[in-house]
Amino acid sequence: MAETGDINSPTSQQAVRQWLSELARGNRLWIRSTVVAGTVAGIATIVQMVFLARIIHLGVIDEVPVADLTPLFLWLILAIVIRAIGQGFQTRLAARCSEQVRRDARRQIYRHWQATGPVALGQSSAGTLAREWIDHVEALHGYFARFLPQMMLSVVVPLLILVLVFWLDWLAGVFLLLSAPLIPLFMALVGMGAEKLNQQHFETISRLSGQFLDKVRGLTTLQLFGQTADATELIRKRSDHYRRITMKTLRVAFLSSAVLEFFASVAIAVIAIYIGFGLLGYITYGPSEELTLFSGLLILLLAPEFFQPLRTLSQHYHDRAAALGAGTEILRRLTTPVDSHRLSETADAGSAIDVIELDSVSVAFQADQEVLKDVSLVIPRADVIALTGPSGGGKSTLLHLLAGFMAPDSGRIQLFAQPPGSFRFGWLGQKGFLVQGTWADNLRLTTPDASDIAIDTALRNVGLGPLLDSRREGINSLVSEDGQGLSGGQARRLSLARIFLADYDLILLDEPTAGLDSDSEVFVLEALHKLAVAGKTLIFSTHHQALLTLANRVLLVSGGEVRNA
Amino acid sequence: MRDLKPWLELILKRPGRLVMGGALILATLLSGIGLLAVSGWFITETALVGMLLAAGVAASINLYVPGGAIRFFAVSRTVFRYLERVYNHDTVLRLLTDIRVTLFQSLASASRSHRRQLTGAQWLSRLTSDVDALDTLYLRLIAPTALAALVTVLVVALTAALFDIQTATLIGLVLLAAFLIATIGTYLRTRQLAARQSDRQESLRTAVIEHIEGFAELTAAGRTGKHAAWLMRQAHQVTSEQAQTDSRAGWHLAGSHLLINLTAVLALWAGFALFRAGVVSGPVLVLLPIALLGVAEIYAMLPDAFGKLGATAASASRLNRDCQADEPAPDTGAQGLPANAALLATNLTVKHPGHAPLFTHFELEVKAGERVGILGHSGSGKSSLADVFAGLLPAAHGKLATRDRVYLTQKTVLFEDTLRANLLLGSPNASEAELWRILEVVELADRFAPEPDQLDTWLGSSGSRLSGGEARRVALARVLLNPAPVVILDEPFTGLDAGTRTRIAKRMALVLEGKTVISMAHGPDALPGTDRVIHLRG
Repeated sequence: MAETGDINSPTSQQAVRQWLSELARGNRLWIRSTVVAGTVAGIATIVQMVFLARIIHLGVIDEVPVADLTPLFLWLILAIVIRAIGQGFQTRLAARCSEQVRRDARRQIYRHWQATGPVALGQSSAGTLAREWIDHVEALHGYFARFLPQMMLSVVVPLLILVLVFWLDWLAGVFLLLSAPLIPLFMALVGMGAEKLNQQHFETISRLSGQFLDKVRGLTTLQLFGQTADATELIRKRSDHYRRITMKTLRVAFLSSAVLEFFASVAIAVIAIYIGFGLLGYITYGPSEELTLFSGLLILLLAPEFFQPLRTLSQHYHDRAAALGAGTEILRRLTTPVDSHRLSETADAGSAIDVIELDSVSVAFQADQEVLKDVSLVIPRADVIALTGPSGGGKSTLLHLLAGFMAPDSGRIQLFAQPPGSFRFGWLGQKGFLVQGTWADNLRLTTPDASDIAIDTALRNVGLGPLLDSRREGINSLVSEDGQGLSGGQARRLSLARIFLADYDLILLDEPTAGLDSDSEVFVLEALHKLAVAGKTLIFSTHHQALLTLANRVLLVSGGEVRNA
Repeated sequence: MRDLKPWLELILKRPGRLVMGGALILATLLSGIGLLAVSGWFITETALVGMLLAAGVAASINLYVPGGAIRFFAVSRTVFRYLERVYNHDTVLRLLTDIRVTLFQSLASASRSHRRQLTGAQWLSRLTSDVDALDTLYLRLIAPTALAALVTVLVVALTAALFDIQTATLIGLVLLAAFLIATIGTYLRTRQLAARQSDRQESLRTAVIEHIEGFAELTAAGRTGKHAAWLMRQAHQVTSEQAQTDSRAGWHLAGSHLLINLTAVLALWAGFALFRAGVVSGPVLVLLPIALLGVAEIYAMLPDAFGKLGATAASASRLNRDCQADEPAPDTGAQGLPANAALLATNLTVKHPGHAPLFTHFELEVKAGERVGILGHSGSGKSSLADVFAGLLPAAHGKLATRDRVYLTQKTVLFEDTLRANLLLGSPNASEAELWRILEVVELADRFAPEPDQLDTWLGSSGSRLSGGEARRVALARVLLNPAPVVILDEPFTGLDAGTRTRIAKRMALVLEGKTVISMAHGPDALPGTDRVIHLRG
């Protein structure tokens, strides 16, 4: 979240708020139930105080015997129980609400990934995308579970109390009301403070963590040069330096919540003294002559409850800041434009079933810079096509078009009379891909119902047999044991094994041998040869001589044109 | 819970600050309770006196003491709250420093093979969320728990003093129940859910990253939908367990509040009997229930903290596991080294723990001043061999004796710091002129001379402001600066084109004159000058 500064710009913050309220709207039933439960707890609290004051008044002033007060005591206990139930349900419903909201947010982000497609998505690092999907969505939790319901409760409950206090003694009500116009002021103060606090804390922590992480990552190097003691001292010094800077901000930030605390305390003190003097009959105007121990005590008991929702809200204010920060990042992702016509093509019956056909296809990344210009091409089924040409010449773009990972700006592409991406095919990118789990898990990822024998054969086809034999449980042993992963070449061969297993008609490969060590290279070549012999349509980009020989047709992709080499 | 012990000991190393911080919180709480209790006392007293006055009976009331107390508590609550927050956050930040330094020290004292190999994301979560869980342990958990216990004892003592022992015992028992529900009860009910929370989250993260890395393949195979649905289920499980933890903590909070409110009812009930017996006055009768209601404030912090205790313990256990190793790096000294040799490997077995050996019976003698090249394709184990030579990976079997050596690892590691700081790692006392001379050797002098900050140019995150080849050359320069007589270079020229490679190799030969050089590469053209070349067949 290096760009948290952006949330200060009004438009984006507005957009984020709008997005958050859309999420809230989708789950308004949960939010409303949370507020209802909170309100029930609030009303029960008021009722509890009413009975408490009533009992004290009757017992102390009217000296009613305890036995006669038993029904009132029972009502009091009932109010306390209802209050607890309301409180419990409030947290429960809030937790459920946030659970739903996070699920919705994750769905939205995932749908966006799908719409973006593999090529454009590859522009962002997997770590960043995962952080958005997991951590940033998690950061919405506090906002929906705590802040949002509390914001409504901090209006409803104080208002109820205010009405009751006015009814009991309007002058005491005025005292509370006088602090009411100050409340938005508190809120702004507290809000500013909390936001600053949160930002400062976040920045400090992330900057410190960054430096600490940097040192930990390079620890072996520090050890090799015998510099760990100096580095430790540096960490201590920097950490302490940040403490001092942070404290400077915190001292100011905490002042704003002190203001809220101060007004709450003073309001209680003023009301207590006013009621006391009123009960003594020292105040000769206004409603104070009507005051009794009941009304006086009730007003006193309600005064802290009047401020409590606001204090709670100020404690949850950082949840809002966190959600806005995370929301900005998520929204930035969600508003990245997607290739909207990527998946919208329909099959064209006019096309031949046995060929791949490109009909005057053009692609430009920038208006005046066409990567492919009016390319027309026919590739018969079972052909082995090598695409060669300078890097940046459009080889990868052509492969991406055929895969349906991106759409042409103009022209038409049909693969065996179907639009690209509408059927399953084999894809081998430059990086192999594996998941934590066994060899079998990895292969069943794309072919869930493959038999053990088929998996074993596929792995042997790409030369992973010896590695498999060295593992105790064969295909059922973990791919990366003890955290030692596969080499780049082995990972790519694993991906290739998936293609073997799945038995696709069409296989697209982007530089299948680039950067491989000589062993892996041999196995990949052999495997591709086997696939070619099996009658698959292979299309790959390459500079590799051996691969060019494997192809029965070599196409030179250069300067926006595709021609036979 | 045992996992928390070392961290608790670390926190308790600052007893003065902890006690002071606790005292400030206590003062805040007591001011809050005092404000309401005295106000209740005052109102009741004035009501009773007011009745007498209205009835024409002469009565007097001291207004100054309660009035002053009310004003004092109103101000002291605010002041103590502010001081408490400032002081305790300062403590938390100090503890954070302590924790980081301790972590780093224990990591630094372990050899690399004993450190767990974690991904960047895993390290980040260790160093942020796991450390965070510990540095707030005092403020969130220890202080509130201790103070809740203390305030409870004080209130029970107050009950005994104002009412009687019997009532005090009863109230004490109910408060004890509330305390247990809020603390241990919450912990026991959420322990398991909370403990596996972050492990689940971590495996979810791994799964998401894998999904994105394989997005093209999965899209081609038409499996994104199925796999994504699986991911959504995993994510939902994490959140719903979290929701479960939250609502359990919520019910425990509600339960403990219920009991605290009941003690107020109890105090009132018992108080009436004493009031009618003339043992207590009306105002005192009112004071106690209100004070008891005030106890709820400190109890409110407990269930949430104890609901997270399971996760905190899990954090501590992860940090203990990943960041602490008690085995120091074994040092292979120069013992048993013939006079004219720089490195002698006898019957060496090179293997990573839990893996098949890469080499067995490996023999090598390198004479002082000799330049040996070792060639092998990727995966042949040459980097592991270099690690063994450099002492990073202990030999599984056999003997290795070497003189002091310096090692350029295959991975380029630069720090977020200035160019100067990065170079000085190699030789802390090197002069400005020496640094420039070495930069000339690796052809970087012309790159940095025009920079406004020259040697003080900031190298960004992992040296990101440099190209791969430039970063490699900085790392190489750092090794060349080091005075150690044996130099081990693993793929020294990664990312350099052939021309640069040849020119640097030629200049390097002069700098390394007289030193023993062992260099590893995948092909002969990636080696600097050598006297003999060994081919590895892994």
